[in-house]
Amino acid sequence: MPYIEVLGQKIEVDEDGFIQDPSIWTPELAKELAKMEEVPEMTEDHWKVVNYIRDYYLKHGIAPMIRKLCKDTGFSLKQIYELFPTGPAKGACKIAGLPKPTGCV
Amino acid sequence: MPLVDGLNQPVKAGPKEFEGLHLVPVPDEEKPAEALKWLDYYRKERRSLVMAMESCVKCGLCAEHCHTYLGTKDPNNIPAGRADLMRKVYKRYFTVQGKLFGKLVGAEEISMRTLEEWFSYYYQCTECRRCGHVCPFGIDTCEVTMIGRQILYNIGMIPKLHAATDVAILRTGNHMALTPSGIVDTLDFLSDEIEEERGFRIEFPVDKPNSDILYVPSSADFFLNPDTLKGAAEFFEYIGANWTISTRITEAGNFGYLSDQTRVQRELVNRVWEEVARLGVKKVVWGECGHGWRAAKMYIPTMSDYPTRMRVPITHILDEVAAYIKAGKLKLNPKNNFRAQGLPVTLHDPCNYARACGLVENLRVDLYASVTEVREMNPNREKTFCCGGGSGVLFDDPEMYQLRIKFSQKKADMIRATGAKVLCAPCSICKAQFHAMIPEHKLDVKLYGLIDLVGAALDFKGHRQV
Ligand code: SF4
Ligand code: SF4
Ligand code: SF4
Repeated sequence: MPYIEVLGQKIEVDEDGFIQDPSIWTPELAKELAKMEEVPEMTEDHWKVVNYIRDYYLKHGIAPMIRKLCKDTGFSLKQIYELFPTGPAKGACKIAGLPKPTGCV
Repeated sequence: MPLVDGLNQPVKAGPKEFEGLHLVPVPDEEKPAEALKWLDYYRKERRSLVMAMESCVKCGLCAEHCHTYLGTKDPNNIPAGRADLMRKVYKRYFTVQGKLFGKLVGAEEISMRTLEEWFSYYYQCTECRRCGHVCPFGIDTCEVTMIGRQILYNIGMIPKLHAATDVAILRTGNHMALTPSGIVDTLDFLSDEIEEERGFRIEFPVDKPNSDILYVPSSADFFLNPDTLKGAAEFFEYIGANWTISTRITEAGNFGYLSDQTRVQRELVNRVWEEVARLGVKKVVWGECGHGWRAAKMYIPTMSDYPTRMRVPITHILDEVAAYIKAGKLKLNPKNNFRAQGLPVTLHDPCNYARACGLVENLRVDLYASVTEVREMNPNREKTFCCGGGSGVLFDDPEMYQLRIKFSQKKADMIRATGAKVLCAPCSICKAQFHAMIPEHKLDVKLYGLIDLVGAALDFKGHRQV
């Protein structure tokens, strides 16, 4: 299993860089994951999206529907892609510490 | 991944997925012998495989009919070439000429390299059956692919995407590992949206006992396709149906069908019958998903080992809509279609509907009644080309993603040629593929399912809520 090094700690990730244990997520770890997703710096807007996804996941155990994510954060899909070039599912959700989505996505 | 020995391959399942599937993969050194045992088993079990192995005359007709070959020009993506990867092994071990003359007659020993080739090319076939439609001998390479994938599954060579999805199926009854609370929250959000759009609310009943209809949507709709869920709710509301969605079978697709046609596929089949019994359902109505409808229509009635006497009918929502239209019971107003908005619409015929389920004309009954202008693609209906994502080859590792772009080139050209501004794709995998491929091919179209467009054209005036 591959690892990434964050703040001197070894973190287990899968081949696509998704963390294996969502419960170990921290904001510091998110910043490191962001760098892998073409997000060099986490701005306030980035945090708004990531925190929303994170909270939704902790509450419901799934990623929010993309339309709902847009509505509740006030960003259009286009803006989300500008913030997270690798997309909401594989970029933003990954930074928020969610497992890689499965199925027809 | 990675190129393995120069072969394009999706990332393979690892320990975590095997654990979730309760599978112990066969050690590499034993894989070839084990695969051969399974090939022997399937040649006896499925005579269509023997027919495919024995009767190809290499006429070459299938080549230009496969979008994967058209997009890549890789000879192993010619349907006959793809089948040859298995045929050479079949010849070597199960025919007299092959045993005697080996390579001279194209026979070859099985090795790890053979299996890596199978893994690469059986996961580049989208199981679209276009080759089967044109082959003068009726060879359906899709069948070869399915058996190839099953043998690979049995020995522990599974794409991570398929294996992780299979784990989600066993655990939750859907591909995306949706939870009951996530399902309810999402549907509640969609009821709010409907209320904003229409001025009245439509609820999505969940796990409601004594429902006449169990609606089985695709789990991907809960993430990507809100209008497909809304369209279905609008239709059920319109006809006054006593319907429900079940949190135990929130999946119209079946990745088992695409990777393990035994235990994983059966899991979703059994869940349908369990929920029919639990909720007292009289009819199961299937949501938009091509391979899923094929699997549902052809397997649910016969595959289950769930002992129930409640074998109720299973229909497709788009057939239901067509029946209502034909009976004059739906008032549809194309001019007020707030999703199509008067724009020209083109219809993507999902291969599995068109070449495996006979769902072709009813799509048109529904669409032509719901929008102002339809521009048919060429070719269409049973000659449709695949979207390039079929059979779940929705891989995102860079090499495989590039292949998806190539596989969809033919379809993209056809869409562009229509000049349509709305692309209607009534299949969940097609939708997932198009969500990514519309920008890749710089197509200027909005994407909808078909029930989305039907729902938006429904005229609720005089309805109990309006
Ligand atoms: S069309 Fe049929 S017979 Fe001809 S090469 Fe293809 S599979 Fe073989
Ligand atoms: S089923 Fe479709 S993708 Fe597979 S070989 Fe035939 S034409 Fe090609
Ligand atoms: S994904 Fe859609 S177009 Fe592609 S094989 Fe399936 S039904 Fe056909």
